[in-house]
Amino acid sequence: MKFVDEFRNAQLGRALAGEILAELQPGRHYKVMEVCGGHTHSIYKYGIDDLLPDNVELVHGPGCPVCVIPMGRVDDGIAVARHEGVIFTCFGDMLRVPGSEYTLLDAKAQGADVRMVYSPLDALRIARENPDREVVFFAIGFETTAPSTALTLKRAKTENVANFSCVCNHVTIVPPLRALLESPDLRLDGFIGPGHVCTVVGARPFEFIPLDYGRPVVISGFEPLDILQSIHMILRQLSAGRCEVENQYTRVVPREGNLNALRVMSEVFELRPHFEWRGLGFISQSALKLSDAYADFDAERRFDVPGVRVADPKACQCGEVLKGVIKPWECKVFGTACTPEHAIGTCMVSPEGACAAYYNFGRFARERTAV
Amino acid sequence: MTSSMPAARCDAAPGHCITCSDEAVPMRVVDIGRDAAVCTDESGAAHEVAIDLVDGAAPGVTVLVHAGVAIGLAP
Repeated sequence: MKFVDEFRNAQLGRALAGEILAELQPGRHYKVMEVCGGHTHSIYKYGIDDLLPDNVELVHGPGCPVCVIPMGRVDDGIAVARHEGVIFTCFGDMLRVPGSEYTLLDAKAQGADVRMVYSPLDALRIARENPDREVVFFAIGFETTAPSTALTLKRAKTENVANFSCVCNHVTIVPPLRALLESPDLRLDGFIGPGHVCTVVGARPFEFIPLDYGRPVVISGFEPLDILQSIHMILRQLSAGRCEVENQYTRVVPREGNLNALRVMSEVFELRPHFEWRGLGFISQSALKLSDAYADFDAERRFDVPGVRVADPKACQCGEVLKGVIKPWECKVFGTACTPEHAIGTCMVSPEGACAAYYNFGRFARERTAV
Repeated sequence: MTSSMPAARCDAAPGHCITCSDEAVPMRVVDIGRDAAVCTDESGAAHEVAIDLVDGAAPGVTVLVHAGVAIGLAP
């Protein structure tokens, strides 16, 4: 496919690796965070890490929507799913995220009507086809996914589909990045920006990173050459003493974002005062809830939910992985007690999670030679 | 372009669930109906896609699709 095949060219990839090497300052160690879980997945799927010299370290950020869901929210979802007559719908990976006792798949095995959907619009279709049942959609995701939920709720309201509602867990990417930049644990040299979030929100929300924290950001596509070129652009900024938001993914990301999507999101959602992120704790104004105009479609108002905060298992170090403080293989339970088949932590559940990416592509320990 | 059309892939098993990630995929618009468009992905498989949020989606145009909704135009 056009603009896919060209960005997987191995010869060009090796040439870019050479250019990256040429930008390095002797003796300097570079830490670059890829914010988005989709980038983490691509980096290990295509072996990009192996093309980089030892002193360029990729740190995996909090941009995997499944990985940041706290256990208490999973418990809330399970509680709704167990209500008599409810059809509970969610995306595929969400089914396997552990709550305090069970996953949604466990709840399904125990008799709850839990169904996997590809789109919130599929959940709305199920609601139309089952007018005598309550159909609930468990919404997760960053600004890439929030427009699809917003559009679905707008249609539900227009068509007056009264048996449809939504548990809203949508989160926004800027507040956790600010929290990470404020963290004394972590020193980062630059960011690979989340290309598809930026398709919706544009480049402007990331300008605080160079302005307030003096770190470059390069918004990146998801093909291997996109990521290599973005790393090269970050290193070029650093060696030239520049610091700004650059857009490598110009073929898709407009600087101002998708104004139609932003408009429907602002109509349907409003910011929560605070929201708990797995491993990161409570972060102010970092998540979305339904606006008053859509309150009738809010499943948290329609059903009793426990709303109880649940501490992560002691063995689980997802928090440190999500903050990039440790590598997945440095976690005590990585690949032993915690595997994709029996995940303890959320980072092992989704293929976009750093732990699952390492596990699935055989990165059990860092054994790399300099390029 | 009906609900009988196969849903786009969403794996719960190890693999790549693009819906759960922040990843969107390019698809080419083939036909536009009342509520949705028919789009084909890289493999040629057809999907039902809502195009309400993008201006300029027309047959032959490539859109970027996430969770059944086009969120942008691709070249």
